[in-house]
Order: sequence, then structure tokens, then C-alpha cells
Amino acid sequence: MYEIWLVLNIALEMARANAVPVVFGALVLLALFLNALRRRGSAWRRAFLPALAVGVVAAAAAIPAVPALTRSSLADMAYWVDWLNLLAIAAAVGAAAVAYAWPLITITRGARS
Amino acid sequence: MNGNQSWRASRRRLLAGGAGLAAAAGMRPSAARAARLATSAHIVIAGSGLGGLAIANRLARSLDGARITLVDAKKEHNYQPGYTLVATGLWPVAKVRDTNAEFVPAGVEWVQEAVAAFDPVAKTLETAGGRRIGYDFLVVATGLHLDYAQIEGMDVAAIGRDGLASVYAGPQAAQATWAAMDAFRREGGEAVMTLPAGALKCAGAPLKMTFMVDDRLRRAGTRERSAVRFHTALPTDTVFGVKAVNDAVLERWKGLGVETNFLSKLVAVDIGARRATFASPEGERTQVPYDFLHVVPPMRAVDAVKNSDLAWKDGPFAAGGWLEVDKATLRHRRFPEVFGIGDINGTPRGKTAATVKKSAPVVAANLVDAIAGREPSQQFDGYTSCPLLLREGSAMLIEFDYEGRLTPSLPMIDPLQESWAAWLMKYRLLKPAYVAVLRGNV
Repeated sequence: MYEIWLVLNIALEMARANAVPVVFGALVLLALFLNALRRRGSAWRRAFLPALAVGVVAAAAAIPAVPALTRSSLADMAYWVDWLNLLAIAAAVGAAAVAYAWPLITITRGARS
Repeated sequence: MNGNQSWRASRRRLLAGGAGLAAAAGMRPSAARAARLATSAHIVIAGSGLGGLAIANRLARSLDGARITLVDAKKEHNYQPGYTLVATGLWPVAKVRDTNAEFVPAGVEWVQEAVAAFDPVAKTLETAGGRRIGYDFLVVATGLHLDYAQIEGMDVAAIGRDGLASVYAGPQAAQATWAAMDAFRREGGEAVMTLPAGALKCAGAPLKMTFMVDDRLRRAGTRERSAVRFHTALPTDTVFGVKAVNDAVLERWKGLGVETNFLSKLVAVDIGARRATFASPEGERTQVPYDFLHVVPPMRAVDAVKNSDLAWKDGPFAAGGWLEVDKATLRHRRFPEVFGIGDINGTPRGKTAATVKKSAPVVAANLVDAIAGREPSQQFDGYTSCPLLLREGSAMLIEFDYEGRLTPSLPMIDPLQESWAAWLMKYRLLKPAYVAVLRGNV
């Protein structure tokens, strides 16, 4: 339980330390969702698979990118815990990409149809 | 044996709804749920490092009506666990520099003077400016003294020049250490790494620096024409106080070709001539030439504690003048209104930020108990941890207690396994965790 609490606080402090990009990113996401909410449900459903594809690509790209951004490489993955952490981070990156891509694709496809 | 039972303290509980809101908004569930103690006690916190500020933040939330005074001249707050990253070229120095002002809680008086002396009988302390401050309760969080003066010829101002390095002396020294290491790795040569006997702040740092010098030489392609020699004043086959870790480090050094010299204490340095002098326990002196020298100073309590009645009078912590606290409650053994936190404590092992992380809630809770006239309810097991850098991209996350038992937070993870995850923690995650400790949130 303490470890979960610690992780939440680490995330909070990282967000505090990067307040401007975090707030800006959240506002962009909110604007996208509010805009996309005006589309019909079918537009949302049609946009899901392409958004998921974007998420998968982003997650795949994160696997080599995250070590590179932390002065390390895939060659440093020496333990199963390393892969577990890296895959969890990549999954989070993928989920964030889906969160942005889904409303964006809904808006653009809705505009075309 | 509580000397503060005259305190007529009463408790009041926060409304449950208010606690929930506070928890949601401020990420402080324990503090929000806990009762606040109404008291008019005056608590003085000597020192504004991690321990002092963590306690100040916790007490500010736990006490209602108390007067809290923080005493320290230092305005800059340094993230000391980051020094090894700065000193090995991994972080810019700006990442270890913050200001204390952003972490001092509202309502806490900050006396911006150094503590010069303690008089625990009169329950006062004296500042460098001659001001006497009385207290009902005292938290000693002064940190320790780096005793470079014990090394003849050592000049902290010369760190960074002529191959002289020392990660401990502050952010500038860490930055200058990288300048010296960077110049050294290009040409290679003789690296001499040192480790004194006695209690040390972050006892893993001398080992990390040794691993990283080796790594830097290898990456620069100069390792083959270099030697890395480790001199320690400790007994044969000892470089770290936890046997499993000690043996793992020595095994790795053997593989890397790091030469070890035991019972070899750095006693003098000729900076211009690049010569270090080591002494054996019998007093035999040996001069060693170097191209790069990493100096780890002997450490002791700050003078204000060492010269006061707060220091241990006998036993293994007396020579260093460390604060005489009970190792479980962290309460002073003779002055029950005094508590200690951090490097100043005369306890086995653990002069690290991780120790403060786990002991700050104990000290705060036990101090609140003392104010309320109760016996201390919390016990500290001596937890500490050391993310031991092995090379760029890899580390071991070692956690242990007073007894030297390995105590991994996640038991399925082997603490002696080198890993990128441990590296990631050190490189990216521990500073946010440290800030959360400063704010008293974890």
C-alpha cells in the first residue's frame, strides 16, 4: 500500500515539476473531447480501431525511445523487472496516444462524412 | 519517563468530509485522516535539510496552535542524492539546487541563522548571531560535518583541479569532480579512490564513484591503459557494511580489474604534485601517485552537537560526537523532549535520504505522542537504501535495516541483481520521491 502511495506522489511531483506541459496537454485533451462529444456515437465507434493502431505504434516506438531518453539502451535490460517496467511505461505511452487520437480521429472523420 | 506530561493536550478530529477533501486535494491521506493535536508547545527544529523540512511539514499539519521554529542559515536546498549523478556527468548541477523557502510550510517561523550551541538542560539553543532560543521540544536535524581537515594538505577549493575530486562537499564540488573526471577519462592513467573508516553519509557513494570511473574510462576507450585502485581504511575484504552487498561489489570489481587496498587510510595529499599518502594502522606511510583522486572525508557530528550534552558520552558513537538517540524511537536517551533525525543521529548505519524518508513519520508521530504526554508509539527499524550505480544505464537497488538484513520493498525482486529499473529510479524517480518527503507527504 505504501509503495502505491509513493508512486502516486512521485507522479504528482513529476507533474508539478512539469506543470506547464502537463496543464497544456490536459487542456488540449479536454478541448478535443468536448469537440468530439458533438459527433454521433457511430463516429466514435468508427474512430476507435484507427486510434488503437496509433496507440500500438506509439507504444512500440516507446520501447526503444524510453531507454534512449534515460541514458541507457535495450542492451541494459538485464532482468525481467526491467522488461516489466519498460512494457508498463510503453503501455502508458500507448494509452495516452489513444486518448488523444480517438477524439481527434472522431472529429476529422466526422467532418468528412 | 515522559518529562512532558504537564502538557495538557487535547485532541480533536477533523470532520470526515474535510479529511476526504484534503486527501483528494493534497495527496496526504494519513495526515488528513489523523487527528490534530491542540497544543501551545514551542517546537524548535535545528536544521533545514531533508529531515528538518520533512518534520516541519508534518508537524505543521499534525499540531493545532503549536509554535514551530526552524533554525538554519542555509537558503539553498541541495538534493544530495543527486551529487553522484552530477559528479559523473549524468545530470546538470541545476538539478540538485532548489531553495528552502519553497518547502518551509506556512506558519513556521524560520530563523535564518546557523545553530552554534545547544544547552539541553536549559532547553535553549544559541545561534551564530548570539540569539538564544528556548524550546519545549527540540528536533535536531543539523546534518553532519565533513572533516576534510583531517587530511593534511586537502583543499576543498581545489576540487576539480589537478585531478582532485570529491563528491561530498556540495553541488560545486560535484560539478568540479565531473570536470576532473572528464579530463581524466580522455587520457586515462591512475585513478585512486578512497574510503575512510567510521560513519559515512551515503556509504555507497564511494563505491558508485568507483564503478562510474571504470565506466567512464571504458566508454572513452582508455580503460586498458588505466588503473583503478580503491584504498579503504576498513579491514581486509570490507568496503561496505552489509556483507551480501560487500561481497557482490568485491566480486564485480574483481571482474572489472579494480585493485583493492585495505587498512589503507588517506592521511595527506599533495595536490600540486598529485601524490596521496596513505597510512596503515601501524602508522606506516605510503605515497601513491595519481592522475585522478577521489577524496572521501572522515565525517563526524557538527560542533554544536559534538560539544554539547546531547552527544553520546560513551560507546561506539561517542568519538564522532553523534546525537544520543534511542535507535528505535529516535528520541534522546537522556533528554526526552529532544528527538533526532537524519545524519546527526548516533544510530547504526543509515545516513541517507531513504533513512529520512522512513524515519520522518516515526519522529513526527513520536514527538506528537510526547507533546500529548504519551510514550512514543512508533519504532524505526533502521531502513535505508542505496541505488548503487554500476555503470551508465544500470544499478542495484539495495535496501537494508539496522541489522544489515536485506529488506527489498518488493520481495520478489533480487536486490543484488543489476537492473535498468533501479537505474531508472535513481536517474528519474528518486528526486520526485525526495520532494514528496520534503513536503511530508510520504
